[in-house]
Amino acid sequence: MGNKPRLIGLLILLLVIGAGAAYLFLGGGEAPAAAVSLRGYVGGEKIGLLEDPEVQDILEARYGLTLDYARAGSLDMVTADQTGRDFLFPSSQTALEYYQQLYGPPAKSEIIFNTPIVLYTHQPILEALQTRGLVTERDGCRYMDMAGLVAEIEAGTTWADLGLPELYGTVAVSTTDPVRSNSGNMFAGLLANVLCGGVADEASVEAVLPRLQAIFERLGYMEASSSDLFDQFLKTGMGAKPIIAAYENQLLEFAAEHPEDWQQLRDDIVLIYPTPTVWSSHIYIALDEAGEAGVDALLDEEVQRLAWERHGFRTAVSGTENGAERFGVPHLASEITQAAAMPSYDTMEKIIAALS
Amino acid sequence: MKRALRAVFGLVLALLMTACGTGSSPPAGESPPPAAQEAAEPLDYRGDATLRILSGSENRELEDILNTFSRETGVRIEMTYQGSLDIMRALQGETVDYDAVWPASSLWLTAGDTRYRVKHAASISVTPVVFGIRQSLAEELGFVGREVSVSDLLSAIRAGELRFCMTSATQSNSGCSAYIGFLYALLGNPDVITSEDLQDPALAGQITALLSGVDRSSGSSDWLKDLFLTGGYDAMVNYECLIISANQELEAQGQETLYAVYPYDGLSLADSPLGYVDGGDPEKEEAFLALQSYLLSDPVQNEIQRTGRRTGYEGVSPENEDVFRADWGIQPQRVLSPIRMPSTDVLMECLDLYQTEFRKPSLTVYCLDYSGSMLGEGRSQMVEAMGQILIQENAAANLLQASENEVNLLIPFSGAPRAVYTAQGSGAELEALYTRAEAEEAIGGTDIYAAAQEGLRQLAAYDLAQYTPAIILLTDGVSDGSLSDFQAAYEALGADIPVFSIMFGDADPTQLETLAELTHARVFDGREDLIGAFRSVKGYN
Repeated sequence: MGNKPRLIGLLILLLVIGAGAAYLFLGGGEAPAAAVSLRGYVGGEKIGLLEDPEVQDILEARYGLTLDYARAGSLDMVTADQTGRDFLFPSSQTALEYYQQLYGPPAKSEIIFNTPIVLYTHQPILEALQTRGLVTERDGCRYMDMAGLVAEIEAGTTWADLGLPELYGTVAVSTTDPVRSNSGNMFAGLLANVLCGGVADEASVEAVLPRLQAIFERLGYMEASSSDLFDQFLKTGMGAKPIIAAYENQLLEFAAEHPEDWQQLRDDIVLIYPTPTVWSSHIYIALDEAGEAGVDALLDEEVQRLAWERHGFRTAVSGTENGAERFGVPHLASEITQAAAMPSYDTMEKIIAALS
Repeated sequence: MKRALRAVFGLVLALLMTACGTGSSPPAGESPPPAAQEAAEPLDYRGDATLRILSGSENRELEDILNTFSRETGVRIEMTYQGSLDIMRALQGETVDYDAVWPASSLWLTAGDTRYRVKHAASISVTPVVFGIRQSLAEELGFVGREVSVSDLLSAIRAGELRFCMTSATQSNSGCSAYIGFLYALLGNPDVITSEDLQDPALAGQITALLSGVDRSSGSSDWLKDLFLTGGYDAMVNYECLIISANQELEAQGQETLYAVYPYDGLSLADSPLGYVDGGDPEKEEAFLALQSYLLSDPVQNEIQRTGRRTGYEGVSPENEDVFRADWGIQPQRVLSPIRMPSTDVLMECLDLYQTEFRKPSLTVYCLDYSGSMLGEGRSQMVEAMGQILIQENAAANLLQASENEVNLLIPFSGAPRAVYTAQGSGAELEALYTRAEAEEAIGGTDIYAAAQEGLRQLAAYDLAQYTPAIILLTDGVSDGSLSDFQAAYEALGADIPVFSIMFGDADPTQLETLAELTHARVFDGREDLIGAFRSVKGYN
């Protein structure tokens, strides 16, 4: 092997890097903009979107805005110190209801995008669940019979009973701590619906609280953040967290941001929709007049397109020609048809109290 | 946008320089001297930014990799090694003195980050906690080539066929993980441990019997491996990656290697999360993200895998199976299916019980230097440090409480041992010991050997198999007296008693190192933080 082509390649590379460096460090290109900075609290799952340079550019160029945020849990941010904050950007309707209960109607609020709560697992587990009749396939998507799954969990069925002796212990779905984090909180709401046989309300939830407590108690330690849970699910392999409940957008964003890693993982990682599922609605709550500008900016057509294409949040564009195939995530639903409403805020309050 | 790009750009540059080998700085420093108790030598290059990282001791093995990063990016990295529980407590504090944390398991990060200051946490590698047992003993016990349960291990321990070393469950993640695994097995493998389970009186008896099989305890996983390498032990509970590195050294020394046993009903994983502590400094955040991306980049992930840690999404690559050796019992393709850790509240309850009831009681002799040079600041710091350990209210804050059956002795010394005071248990006698420590005057010369020898004489009166014995020696000056007299007494006693020393003032590190080497112990540096050094040394027994 001659060294010359390599050297030339290296030289070209260095030139490109030099040019890049000059651009970045000497500050060429970007025009100085006197953008208005809005300060607020944001749920961790949206940080990828808000750090997306293209999204930042659109907000700045078209709306003269930059969003300065601190990460906070969806319920925590409602009670957090809001001095000097212009907006909240939680991940559920529950947070808005909580806000209204404490402070009355906000200056403005709007759902920016949605993502359903889904289950992630690994191929061998999927096969076992299919054999057990818990997961069925319709229109190319996998659906979990949640009532059936809950029955297995409550019966203490082991993985070995499902034909997976290499997995230790009983069947469980790992979630984030429902008291601290929104995705775990929503999964608790979803389970309450399943146990009540319909959307749980303040009256019907009472009877199922002990069962709900038992299910969560058996999980032991739970992560506090949905992004940490997802990271561990991917990295610790099939044994550590056999099934997790998380947001649909997490896998789509991962596949879009790390296509090479996804190529390695796509034969193993499986996406399953609970039936019924619940929507996580990402609501922008403007706290003051300045904050209201954020609504239009985030609803910008381009931002909405990027939210779907790069970060997996469902928006008006997600059902269109820009469909689900773009992610290369198999068995992704083009539309979510079987979603139930989350229990009301008062009902959720009872659930959280029981799980605290 | 520029910020993110710049970080990426810096990373690309760093990777390129690695690839081209154009690093021009001096070669990577050797691992820090054993005397350094906490902070390793900073990896100082051009010093554009400094990242102070509070890390578990197992990451000491990654220093070469961090070094390369520092050399190529100019980011200065200061590693401080502490147990995972200390890291948890550091995070809970009003302020955090570090820019990043890197505990063994995300469990401690979640339990510690109650003020939501940690950002960008990501797992760097994964390693399970396993039993490493001398190959021939593992064969004798029938543990080779089959699935082993915690109960199988427990029967061997009960029968006196297996003795082992582990880290303290209240100081270190690996010891804690093993202990929780034991509790599960003794409770008949419930889904999860509850508070009620822990009240079971039968459990107390069984776990106490089990922990009596512990040969030696340690405050840190990395040091446990070093201790093991000094020879004379049969087994240790430690991370798979440290069993691998111990085996590499054992093999190089021509000694018998360890066989790794993965208890299928008591396995836990260390996922090694590296997280940024947000102190509002964008430059630090950028430097952190560059470091994290570097560590997660493909070539570096492979390098980390070569140290015996599991990385990436696809498990151990076939080329690295020469590290994860099947003949050592290492199972790189094993599906790691861990137990569920209890909720944080229950976990803390488990740890409290370990410290105050279940662990093998410690038998500690404090030899404290009251020579003239300790007068003033030195003496008052030493007394304050003893207050952190002996006054139980203080000790509880760091999970260092005494247990009911433990024994503490105090030998104040100067040119000769002055007296011996003994405190039985965790009650009034212990606090009275503190009053004694407070009353001693600082005057006279220094003879550490005579004091330690008196300690040995006192220990000889106990049935040492019932205790974790240790001598903790604090000194601030060059010692008179005779090492050889001490050595003769030590060898005559023929017991494995570590003499840990805390170096203070103008103490002579070589004198203390010699003692440590002779007794399989280590030297703690109390010159910067005496109270911290006392706490650390106490975590070792």
